[in-house]
Amino acid sequence: MKNWQYFWQITGLNMQGNIVPLLFVLWMAYILLGRIPDCRRAHIVRSLLACLVLLFVLASLGAVCYITGAWNWYHDTGQVLWKYFSLVCEMLFLGFVWRTSPRNCCLAALVIELLCSYGEFLSYLYNYGITYDLSDLAQRRSYFFWMLVIHPLIIILCGLVIHISGMGKVYRQWLEQEKVHKGILCLLAVYPLLYFLLEKEAYETDMTSTYYLILGFLLLVIHLIFVYVVRDREQKQYIMDQQASLQQQTIYIEKMEQIQKELRSFRHDFKNMMAGMYLQAKEGNLDAVQDFIQEMTGDFDRQVGGQIRLLNQLGNVRMMEVRSLFLDKLSRMQQDRISCELEVLNPFEATRMRSTDLCRCLGIFIDNAMDEVRGRENGQISLMISSLDGCTTFRIKNTLYGAIDFGRMGQAGYTTKGTGHGIGLENCRRILAKYDFVFPFTAVQDGYFVQELKIQE
Amino acid sequence: MLPVYICEDDEQIRRAERLYLEKQILIEDYDMEIALCTGSPEALLDCLAKDQRQGVYFLDVELKGASMDGFRLGQEIRKRDARGFLIYVTAFADLAFETFRYHLEALDYICKQNPEQMYAGLSRCLKSIVERVEREQGEQQEYFTVKTLDVVRHIPLNEILYFTTGEGTHRIALYARQERLDFIGSMQELEERLGEDFIRVHRAYLVRADQIAQIDRKDREFILKNGEHCPYSRSMSKRLLESAAVRARK
Repeated sequence: MKNWQYFWQITGLNMQGNIVPLLFVLWMAYILLGRIPDCRRAHIVRSLLACLVLLFVLASLGAVCYITGAWNWYHDTGQVLWKYFSLVCEMLFLGFVWRTSPRNCCLAALVIELLCSYGEFLSYLYNYGITYDLSDLAQRRSYFFWMLVIHPLIIILCGLVIHISGMGKVYRQWLEQEKVHKGILCLLAVYPLLYFLLEKEAYETDMTSTYYLILGFLLLVIHLIFVYVVRDREQKQYIMDQQASLQQQTIYIEKMEQIQKELRSFRHDFKNMMAGMYLQAKEGNLDAVQDFIQEMTGDFDRQVGGQIRLLNQLGNVRMMEVRSLFLDKLSRMQQDRISCELEVLNPFEATRMRSTDLCRCLGIFIDNAMDEVRGRENGQISLMISSLDGCTTFRIKNTLYGAIDFGRMGQAGYTTKGTGHGIGLENCRRILAKYDFVFPFTAVQDGYFVQELKIQE
Repeated sequence: MLPVYICEDDEQIRRAERLYLEKQILIEDYDMEIALCTGSPEALLDCLAKDQRQGVYFLDVELKGASMDGFRLGQEIRKRDARGFLIYVTAFADLAFETFRYHLEALDYICKQNPEQMYAGLSRCLKSIVERVEREQGEQQEYFTVKTLDVVRHIPLNEILYFTTGEGTHRIALYARQERLDFIGSMQELEERLGEDFIRVHRAYLVRADQIAQIDRKDREFILKNGEHCPYSRSMSKRLLESAAVRARK
């Protein structure tokens, strides 16, 4: 009976003490994941419930461990295990509330743990070496003062520093790297273990100052690696952007030269035509003059108009990455003699979807369209970008020659092109599953195959 | 009788359009009349406020000096007459027509650079409108209407195979014979809205009943007419079999 009372007492205290760290976790998750969770009422209620469950589970199990002395198992292994257990709980919690992939939750939880220990590390400085005897009133009071005032204050301060330093953006940029992931994930995953080992070592050898030094150093190293990786990536991205823009300019100049050449040849024809027309007009042959004018406007449209039109539409694509992609694909289509129309009625400036993902999907769609039409007679591709009323639409339409199985499309290995294909659309589906503001649409309409991405901005 | 509206800023072209259209309506004995021929979009919209019929609209794209361009005017007309026929008349052969068709469901566009071309375009449009109206009157097809952000799509109900919950919250994927799309909604709402033709065979699947070809009770899945396999839940198996029996009796 007494044990139960003791258990509830400690659980209650733990819950109180965990509220601030939980708020910190929520705050950091918001910074790291870069968005607030789904705001529908039902989900808010579910999330609040999840918060309570998390608080209770950690508090009650913590109390059990405390009472049974599980934390002191085999040289503090209990504590390390506890740390990992709470990490897993946190991951599940983040996954539930933010509805993001397990990989993202896992990384976010580990990074948050790291940040938390920054905070804890600082707040332990306040009472390091003091062991509170909670049965003594004065000591209990000072313990609560530390737990309810000093600890939260320091954590809030840490959070503010992280918030102001724009760490979330750095983190998300770093997430885009796929190579470094495994290494850093391992480092992060052994971090709690390392933390305890060092702490214990320091305790036993009575070298607390060295311990702090090492811990501080470790945190610094992790921080530096982080910054280095992100800077490196930024630099590479910058170089790539510059190369892309150079390439674009080259293609642009080539196009201009082409137009100039065509204009020159048109000028030559135009002179001949004018001479002919002059003679006809002199003879009073009005019908022939009308024919001449018609032929001339038609010729102009054919020879020069098309190119100018294409460049005009491309000029409306203001997002560099997409413009590069379109320039590349359009010049490839020209090489393959595929007839293509591009329409961008309003300037398209930017979109919420990540540019790399967007370009990958569009690239796959356009490649599919080109594969279908290449070498066929009267094949036609039409591309449309429309930004209207807070919504961007990309529409790729091509003449369709075969049949399409809609049920199987987008599954691994489904293709109409023979072995070795069937990866593109599945990739697309995987990429798009990440975004809840992108709506794909696929259809066969009047003999055309239509692929569409609609993005809510 | 279909009312025909013309909105064109150039008076000469406006007159030419009107004369030609009147002549064509008379010669071909189309059930149409010229309701308004104007240079001002406002006048056209005012006129629409009084007349609720499905109309035919010949609109200039540029509309110099007016408060809105042809695209905006098209959007306004669509709000008032969702089923009308929009035809754009333009001086540029390179009109972004895909965009017009996509957002405004415009029927066609006519180039007014040369009169012969324009007249040919006008009679082509009238002819195709008459054909379309006749076709629509003959058919009794039901549609499933769904709005995804800024577009409304109509999918013939008998083309739909099934709905399934997509990846992400409240997202539903629709599979039809010739279409596949995502939208926001809830299975329960859909189930109520679509009635008996569709069966909720699984928490994540709402299937059109007459598309089910076989039921495999061993693996607890059924096979659609197009060969796809879908799972069904134990609690639904009774209803599924009942519905199959009813259809077999029919």
